[in-house]
Amino acid sequence: MEVPLFEFAECMNTDPGTVERWIRQGRIPVKRKGDSCIFNREVLEKWAAAHNIRFVMPGKARPGEPEIASDSLVAAMASGGVHYDVPGRSVSEVLRAAADRLEGLPDRESRDILYEKLIDREQMMSTGIGKGVAVPHPRTPLQDKAVDARIGVCFLETPVDFRAVDKKPVDVLFVLVTPSARQHLHLLSRISFCLREDAFLRILNQRPDRERFLKAVAEFENRLDQGVP
Amino acid sequence: MFHVFRNTPHGREALLQTAYFCRKMRVSPVVYIPSHARFLLYMENDVIQVDLDPSYLRSPETAQAHVNAVMAEMGMEPPRFFSPRHFSTPSLPDVPVIFNFMTCPEILSDRKGKTGSGYIGPRVRRIFKAAPFPLLIPPPVFKPFTSIAVMFGGSINAANALRLAVRLKRLSGMPVSLYTAEEGRRGKKYYEKLMGKNALTGVFAQTVSQWHLFPAKHFIENLFLIPHDALVVAGAYGHGAIRRLFRKSTLDVIQTNLPNSLLIVGPDYRQTV
Amino acid sequence: MAAYSKFKRWVGASPQWLGGDDRLLLIAFGALVGSCCGVAAVVLNAGLHAMEGLFAGYRSFWWAFLLPGIGAALSSVFLEKIIREGAGHGVPEVVYSVSRHGGLLRMRSMFSRLVSSSLTIGSGGSAGPEAPVVMSGSAIGSNIARMFSLNERQRIALVGCGSAGAVAGIFNAPIAGLVFTIEVIVGEWTARHVVPIAVASVAGAQISRLLQGNQIPFTHLHFDVAISTTIAAGGLAIVTAAACIMLTRALRQSHHLSGKVPLPLWGRAAIGGCLVGIIGIFLPQVLGEGYHVIQKMVEGSFPGGFALVLILLLAKIAATSLTLGWGGSGGIFAPCLVVGSFSGLMYYRGIDALLPGILQVNEGCFALLGMAGMISGMLQAPLTAIFLIVEITGGYETILPLILVSVISTTICHIFEPASFYFRDLIEKGHYLRPRTDARVLADLQISELIEKDCITVPKNMSMGDFVKVVQQSRRNYFPVLDEATGEFAGMIHLDDIRPYLLDTLLHDTVFLEQIMSAGVETVDIDDDLAEVLDRMDDTGSFSMPVVTNRRFVGMLSKATLLDKYRKELMLQTTD
Repeated sequence: MEVPLFEFAECMNTDPGTVERWIRQGRIPVKRKGDSCIFNREVLEKWAAAHNIRFVMPGKARPGEPEIASDSLVAAMASGGVHYDVPGRSVSEVLRAAADRLEGLPDRESRDILYEKLIDREQMMSTGIGKGVAVPHPRTPLQDKAVDARIGVCFLETPVDFRAVDKKPVDVLFVLVTPSARQHLHLLSRISFCLREDAFLRILNQRPDRERFLKAVAEFENRLDQGVP
Repeated sequence: MFHVFRNTPHGREALLQTAYFCRKMRVSPVVYIPSHARFLLYMENDVIQVDLDPSYLRSPETAQAHVNAVMAEMGMEPPRFFSPRHFSTPSLPDVPVIFNFMTCPEILSDRKGKTGSGYIGPRVRRIFKAAPFPLLIPPPVFKPFTSIAVMFGGSINAANALRLAVRLKRLSGMPVSLYTAEEGRRGKKYYEKLMGKNALTGVFAQTVSQWHLFPAKHFIENLFLIPHDALVVAGAYGHGAIRRLFRKSTLDVIQTNLPNSLLIVGPDYRQTV
Repeated sequence: MAAYSKFKRWVGASPQWLGGDDRLLLIAFGALVGSCCGVAAVVLNAGLHAMEGLFAGYRSFWWAFLLPGIGAALSSVFLEKIIREGAGHGVPEVVYSVSRHGGLLRMRSMFSRLVSSSLTIGSGGSAGPEAPVVMSGSAIGSNIARMFSLNERQRIALVGCGSAGAVAGIFNAPIAGLVFTIEVIVGEWTARHVVPIAVASVAGAQISRLLQGNQIPFTHLHFDVAISTTIAAGGLAIVTAAACIMLTRALRQSHHLSGKVPLPLWGRAAIGGCLVGIIGIFLPQVLGEGYHVIQKMVEGSFPGGFALVLILLLAKIAATSLTLGWGGSGGIFAPCLVVGSFSGLMYYRGIDALLPGILQVNEGCFALLGMAGMISGMLQAPLTAIFLIVEITGGYETILPLILVSVISTTICHIFEPASFYFRDLIEKGHYLRPRTDARVLADLQISELIEKDCITVPKNMSMGDFVKVVQQSRRNYFPVLDEATGEFAGMIHLDDIRPYLLDTLLHDTVFLEQIMSAGVETVDIDDDLAEVLDRMDDTGSFSMPVVTNRRFVGMLSKATLLDKYRKELMLQTTD
């Protein structure tokens, strides 16, 4: 195979000067011809494995880099589901019910884990962020990587005292589950943007149906993306 | 650009040429005032000993001031002075080859004595054959240049010469013209194809303003085509030692018959832009 | 020519069809290099004998003491004026080139030392032919590697092959050739090196046997080694170590002294040679390589008593330092053997005088042990000494005291002279770079490979307000400031230093970067040595430094990237 030197250096995730030196010193099974590297792919891959050095063929994506969180609120809410009349009189009862209702969890066991994590987090400090809204979430991302970012929107049957910052009882929960801390922050900042708008709070109070609610959220998100303050 | 300074009037001419080249090409000069009569150039796959004569070691106390004066005359700031950090033996400094260009010390390419013989010394030949940088052979007296003339013979080194000319044009903005000594009746097509093979067609169209083809038989006569104020860029022609006995190499002919500054590119030249 | 370039290309391609491995190739080249070096060793031997024959005719004249002077001067002129090779000891140059330049050696070194050392030694100078032949052998290996455009690693192996073949050839001692090369020249005990070097040793020894006959240099009687000998060997080690230190310091002193003499190099060599000649008038045993003297001692037929041997010992040390320190050409090996056997003999005679009959062995045995102690102390290479002495004397029965004297002598010498004779200068200048060491990795990594180029540079006249916007988009804490008129580097802004003012909007339009940057920060040049740069970083406690060359900013050098690259390099160099 023949690959230009600078491209080859990228495959090795190193500087072209380093590759040049390695070839000169004979540390790497690669020949040089002008400005390109000639090598036998099998031999090189074997060599890279033996030396514990990463070599990715040109054109292939590099593994391990998580995608930048670009998920929208709407997408997360759509996959988490919008739930009405969620029962419960105490924080733990509501959370139990919310964990049971969140869509997309594979089995009973993972619901139990989620519930425990939510409680755990709640004991640290209330997730009630005021204006009748709470954002329960696990402290650490779920171990289960298969679960993508989702938000379960739960309208409660009866308002519950979450010991929120403004002491108001909470009647809407956004249960936030994400595979990475980065996505968590991303979604949380979007929720908080929406909550700053009185219009959004009014919509929440109306308890609209799923369709209308998601449409409204999408509208707000659009405004955020376009940078309208 | 690496320059070995000789503290004599001849050395001044060479330094003037280097300084002019540096100013035009916007490279920074590095001047070595020799402390020993010889030094080693360690290339990738060769080590070359350069022997200087005693005139290089003359009056080192004034050398630095002279260099600065020459640079100032060219409107340049004092250059960086190279002082060898490593020594192979206590009297044998090493010179690393991390430079973009090197001016050939006159002692190796003595034109004064051998102008008639047309002979590039074996040592110079060895330097540019192994060097990753082009070698500037200055004329005996300082001679400014305003254009670039590429000797394009069609070999791999000629392709290197063209690449270098492209780089020089980008640095200096000087017009580039191409000179090809046509061997037999190959025709323009043959050389165009060669450029295509080396991925130079696009570059050619962008940089070269003129292309002169002339029959190789009348090589020397046609050298008159090359303007007197051009920097001649030529690839090293890889002839074996035995062939050189019977025929002068093209490079020797150029060197004999042209008083211009000559920039030679070897097979190991690497374009670093 | 065409066939050669075709073969060259074939060699270059061979790693592919061998499954990416060049071991077979290196074995073949090792044999070739070893054979050439065997020939070189034989040629040197012949040259020595020819010179000795030539000079022998004049030995009886009254001015014979001038002979070593003439020889040394000629050899100096030859090296300096004709070959124009800056003179050195030989072995350190080889190690230097292996350390710094992947074993590149000049073509002229292939033969220069053979001629110059036969001039020096043949005329009576006290020096040995081994270092010259090692130099020649290594240069042969290096140039063969160059002809075939082998890479540095292969070239170093061939340089080793050259030195092994040469030592094996000149001593008829293949194991010593192998061990010496690995221990002193290459410094790496891996199969990749041992295999071709062993092959070269065999080839070198074989060629020399073919051309000179299979003879052991120093034959001896059978020794009955008893326990008393082994115990006494411990004491001998102290004597040889003392002799080692004396020789080392005498060499250094005489080198310093000769440096102060305002004469051309050949003039100094001539003076040194003449002084040796004067010593030679009274004690002819110190002249030349001195192998016949050793032979006599090993046989146990050396005349005289304790005092004579002591005087000879001192005289030999003086003669050697006058020859080598004043510019003669040759090696330290043979003089070491002579001094060693003198000190062994002296020790034996001393003990025998005090406690007659306690050492139930012939005095030749102690001459032999003395050689081992001396070599191991001087080179600080005990294995080389052990194998060499066993091979050149064929005296395997002395192996127990031999090992003992070698290791103890090495240890004692190490206390007084931490670096061996060959490596002292190299270590002082930081050129002693053994494979798989920190120094090696740092020397390999170039600053240009480590530079981070994704820095955002800011102009000197930028306002604070604009700068805050730049900071928002950047992921770094360091901002190089440039002079926009000249493009030169002006200073650095470190976010930590200006954090308190960043949010002060009042300052945004009134303060310019020039006012808040730190000018005069320490910078690195792109061709600085990494080890030095790291020292500077440690001194200033900084984690990153701007790389500036010709007053222009190139990039940042940070310890974080360095760790990444360093580790990669280390993995590459330590897994075979």
